[in-house]
Amino acid sequence: MTGALTWGIVVSSLAVVVVRRRLTAIVLVAAQSLALGVYAIARNPHVSPALAVTATVLIAKALLLPVLLTVTTRSARKERPLTTEPPALIRLSVALTVGLVIEQLIPPFGLTDASIEHAAVGMLALGISVALVRRAVIFQALGFLIAENGIYLAGLSLAAGLPVVIELGLAFDLVVSVSVAAAFAAKIHEHLGSGDTSFLEALRD
Amino acid sequence: MTDVLVTAVPAAPLLGALAVRLPRTPRGADRVSYISACLTAALALAASMLGALHDPAGIRGSWFVLDRAGAAFLAVIAVIGWLSASASGAYLAHAGKGLFTARGARAWYHTAFHLFWAALLALALVDNLGVAWLAIEATTGASALLVAYTGRRNALEAGWKYLVLTTFGLAVALLGIFILFVAIAPHGGALSTLDWQTIARRAHVLPHETAVFALVLILAGLAAKIGWAPVHNWLPDAHSEAPPPISALLSAALLPTVILIVWRLVLTLGLAIPHRLADHLVLAFGLLSLAVAVPFLWRPMPWKRLLAYSSLEHMGILALGVAFATPLATLGVIIHIAGHALAKSLGFYAAIPIQRHYPHSTEQPSRGLARLSRPVGAAAAISLATLSGLPPSPLFLSELLILLGGVAAHQVAAVAIATVLLALGFLGLAHALIETLAGESRGPRWPAGRTVRLTRRLTIVTASGLLAVTIGGFALVAANAGAGLMGGLA
Repeated sequence: MTGALTWGIVVSSLAVVVVRRRLTAIVLVAAQSLALGVYAIARNPHVSPALAVTATVLIAKALLLPVLLTVTTRSARKERPLTTEPPALIRLSVALTVGLVIEQLIPPFGLTDASIEHAAVGMLALGISVALVRRAVIFQALGFLIAENGIYLAGLSLAAGLPVVIELGLAFDLVVSVSVAAAFAAKIHEHLGSGDTSFLEALRD
Repeated sequence: MTDVLVTAVPAAPLLGALAVRLPRTPRGADRVSYISACLTAALALAASMLGALHDPAGIRGSWFVLDRAGAAFLAVIAVIGWLSASASGAYLAHAGKGLFTARGARAWYHTAFHLFWAALLALALVDNLGVAWLAIEATTGASALLVAYTGRRNALEAGWKYLVLTTFGLAVALLGIFILFVAIAPHGGALSTLDWQTIARRAHVLPHETAVFALVLILAGLAAKIGWAPVHNWLPDAHSEAPPPISALLSAALLPTVILIVWRLVLTLGLAIPHRLADHLVLAFGLLSLAVAVPFLWRPMPWKRLLAYSSLEHMGILALGVAFATPLATLGVIIHIAGHALAKSLGFYAAIPIQRHYPHSTEQPSRGLARLSRPVGAAAAISLATLSGLPPSPLFLSELLILLGGVAAHQVAAVAIATVLLALGFLGLAHALIETLAGESRGPRWPAGRTVRLTRRLTIVTASGLLAVTIGGFALVAANAGAGLMGGLA
């Protein structure tokens, strides 16, 4: 995998931490999936059925999930920026700190290309960071997609890819998780008139 | 023949999830759901009997492993699923439309219920770490919707918190599984690379650092799903806000079944890690969970929230048993899972009439149940007395076995700490039991309506089950049955 593609995907994850508009963030995550899917095709999927499945899953993810999430956010199109969210610079600092700390903690785990190991772990950390620093429901769902794209990135570096059953299972789970998250997002908007999860803090002991 | 029977176990509730969509009336959906639940439970219990009566090596099929421990888990999931399906009709009769549209609310509930149950049954059977991860993730989608079923703001919060925390936890576990996969098959490989036996066979050639790293990530991720402290934040909220039959399934079946996966992981990948580090990590989760849960058992809590913190305590006890890994402790874990499941689910079923007659029960402790309704008071008493470990509760026997197993494993310090915490937990729950039964209550006695009659029936069934678990537990101890329980991994 080219270094530019790998780090382009990581930078797009960082961008999700700072961008203001939900639609921009959705497009960025869709572009990540599309880039990974195109790369899987470029690796000649005839060599391994797993790669063909990966490419199909990633491209379907790039096309379908953004549609689902956009439909969910349509009801809140005129929503103002969330005032409970920290400023973009602080969000970026937190995400970078979390990413770098996790990078340092995790030793090499055997992929031939060390930069892909770093990028995959970094994306998992950034996905978690997005859920931590962004308050909007949709951004938290996008955080999960970013984390999972990190695993796909690592899987694509294996010659034979991941087992097909795991690929299909991952795709199924992803669709279920994102659909459930979208259903929650719609209901939370309906109840609170906002997708701000900081309003969901009534349950404490 | 065995392959067909075992495959039918998760397939039956999947078909049930489709079948409940067919009837045109809510009552029709209830009936189809109940029939499907009877069929599923019968199949699962038949498969469980096969596994229990087979030799200790267990039965290995095309996609499953059914050893004696797995058989016990399967039986517990079958019974709790059936009891929850039986209790759902009475709950739904007064639940309103909640998260879903009025027309399809009940059918959606049953669909999500059967999907959740199917994933749980499959999880107890799968012979592969990767597929186990998929099944755990599948439980999240269905159960998150069920947690938020009432559609109330608190339920949405609980469901969302559960979805986000467990999904990210599982993403961390997935990275750990990927690292393990690469360590076993550096250029990629077949699905069988992650079979339990393959992991055990290859454990001795895995680099220690990679194995430790993979284990820590997988354990941390699964701990978030089990609700072990310190990643337990979703557990009290989800258990207290979910419909009571779902709380029962979450606490009595889901959490222990994920512990089964941790158990299998420790027994296989743990072989690659020196100094019993895997056991020590699980032990740390167990002690921390006990330490976090006990102070909450001393506080006045709404009924279901009290049961939720009790779940945290009991998942901690199970972690201790898994970590001690001696035959006595292993036997203790199996008895504990069965006893806890019955007692905890009875407590949650008692919440159905409590919520019906006392609308503030989700915010305030329930008091004076013995005066308000004798059947509900009896259910609460049996549930809390058993959960506190009061003799002759099966949990008294199981906790004793786990602690003795810890002494046999030379973990005296951990046993001492656990004993103190368990004693404190017992006193907290005993106090809660007295207040719940005999505390000051207002209002007239509750009429013996449908929910109270249901509680009476479920109390008889679960109390009989608890008695059987106690007698069976002593019989297993006498037969020294602990050593062969996890034979499917040998």
